Amino acid sequence: MYRIRFHGRGGQGMKTASRLLGTALFKSGLEVQDAPKYGAERRGAPMLAFVRADRRPIHERGTVVSPDLVLVADETLFQVPVAGVMAGVKASTVLAIASQKPENVWRDRLKIDSPIYVLPQSEAADDEIPDVSALIAGAAARLTGLVSQEVLRQAVEEEIAPYGPKAVAFNLRAAGEGFGAMAAGEGSVGESLDQGADSYDKPDWIDLDLDLAATAAPNVYAAANSVLVRTGLWRTLRPVLDPENCGKCVWVCGSSCPDGVIGVDANGYPDIDYQHCKGCMICVVQCPRHAFAAIPEQDAAEAAQAAQMAQMEGTAS
Amino acid sequence: MTESQFKAARDLPSNHLLGSGTAMCAGCGGLGAVREVYDVLGENTIFINAAGCMTLLSVYPFTPFRGSWLYTAMASAPAGAQGVRDALDIRLAQGTLTKDEDLQVVVLTGDGSAGGMGLSATSAAIDRQLDFIYLCYDNEGYGNTGQQTSAATPHGARTATDPQAGGLPGRKKDLFAIWTANRPAYAATALAAEPLDLARKIETARDLTGPRLILTLAPCPTGWGFEPARSVEIGRLAVRTGIFPLKEYIDGRVVHNRIPHPRLPVEDYLKTQQRFAHLFEPRRDEKRIGEIQAAVDAYWQEVEENNA
Repeated sequence: MYRIRFHGRGGQGMKTASRLLGTALFKSGLEVQDAPKYGAERRGAPMLAFVRADRRPIHERGTVVSPDLVLVADETLFQVPVAGVMAGVKASTVLAIASQKPENVWRDRLKIDSPIYVLPQSEAADDEIPDVSALIAGAAARLTGLVSQEVLRQAVEEEIAPYGPKAVAFNLRAAGEGFGAMAAGEGSVGESLDQGADSYDKPDWIDLDLDLAATAAPNVYAAANSVLVRTGLWRTLRPVLDPENCGKCVWVCGSSCPDGVIGVDANGYPDIDYQHCKGCMICVVQCPRHAFAAIPEQDAAEAAQAAQMAQMEGTAS
Repeated sequence: MTESQFKAARDLPSNHLLGSGTAMCAGCGGLGAVREVYDVLGENTIFINAAGCMTLLSVYPFTPFRGSWLYTAMASAPAGAQGVRDALDIRLAQGTLTKDEDLQVVVLTGDGSAGGMGLSATSAAIDRQLDFIYLCYDNEGYGNTGQQTSAATPHGARTATDPQAGGLPGRKKDLFAIWTANRPAYAATALAAEPLDLARKIETARDLTGPRLILTLAPCPTGWGFEPARSVEIGRLAVRTGIFPLKEYIDGRVVHNRIPHPRLPVEDYLKTQQRFAHLFEPRRDEKRIGEIQAAVDAYWQEVEENNA
């Protein structure tokens, strides 16, 4: 059985990617399951989808815990523990990452021997969260070596048809791009055997330690305990204030923020709570003086990390 | 009535009662309205939540509220509000609850419940003159389940259940008119994108007793198809194009408190959203755009005639 997992953010099209691959594999003569897994999460929140494919009937159910292929649409998800990108990844698991960083950087970072393929990201994405469903599905199809480009084309046409000819054309191009980019890895995904129930790892919640229990079960009588949920993880862009341009009319940005995460600091400037800001960018658009810039979250995180390193070096010397 | 505490936008609350960390979509136009309602009504508020998007506000064990929240099935939020109001009144009568501890009872509902299966219970609650605020966040579809058509979906919009070329053939149900026909204590339309107007209306509603409607338009990035950053701008366009009239029903009269002047063409609003994209591409659907514009023109002409 082939077990394939897609990781992305809500809005990137991983549900569609799993559907496209599922349909392509089905058309190639395999039994298929495809399903997305998400809960109350919204656009920007980490989510996953998975596909199982086999030449025999599939009796396994539930999320794929031991994947043969993992595709990652947003590289920032590796830093998000709840996304579980690396969960169950073994030496034979093939990884495909949409990234502008080369394969050796990822090998260094992840410290694993698994085959890693990098899927170049196209630059021309205007959207805050670009839909990369067909790109990722095309890559997955090639890596399994089970789907011809013609069958992939049929699957995309069939699944995307309800969205109109423009969407079909866009997705056919993207699927072809993903398929083409993975030529070097064609057929590199191996099949793994059926797993008996006894081979599964014990769920981690059985040995829940006390600290985790405190977070997992907060005081339900506490007022507004939703602040324990860090919705800042949904963000792909970060609004950053330039105090030079700020007119301190904090009621403008403050009352336009749906989540109410813009407060006022001691000097009268807006103060964004990045633990909870979902990155909607309404403040960026609404500020009459254009004092907020929208910075890609990854750049912002890297800049913060660099500043921290510089500070540590400064203290050391 | 005493003078408003909200004279200018700078008087709007900058500290918020509603906790962050909720599962509402980034850029949710409904959440901003709920947040402001809570700020103006204060902590002594209990929300009776009809099933809908806002179900996800309070997913055990987390809550953004500082007090109680009662969750009901889609059709029964006003009935739930009746039970809560009765219990509070009994305790007030018994003297086990002081006047200061009394709670404002607020139904929180989406348009799916408000214009559809919840309508019967709402109508009955108004008949009984139930003392409650009915806060509807209208995102013009069943947003929580993938934007299927609701009673509040506008003419021509494409939804998950009306994907055909022309979009929805039917028309948006007028919940405000249904309410005012029942002669409530108060009814108002508002939206988070006009926070000062919203704050004043909640303030007015707060100080009245009886059934009170706050109907807010809730621009929905996920269901309407636009970038979350444009949520406030699109809400304002709904007002400036005259598609969403800001009005109040008080003392038995409807007053329009913002007559857009100049009134922008409806397409300025329609163009911003994917659900109306088929009106412009591959070619302009002059007939349907004309129909939508004509309906809005007719509405405002009637308003002007009534005012004259």
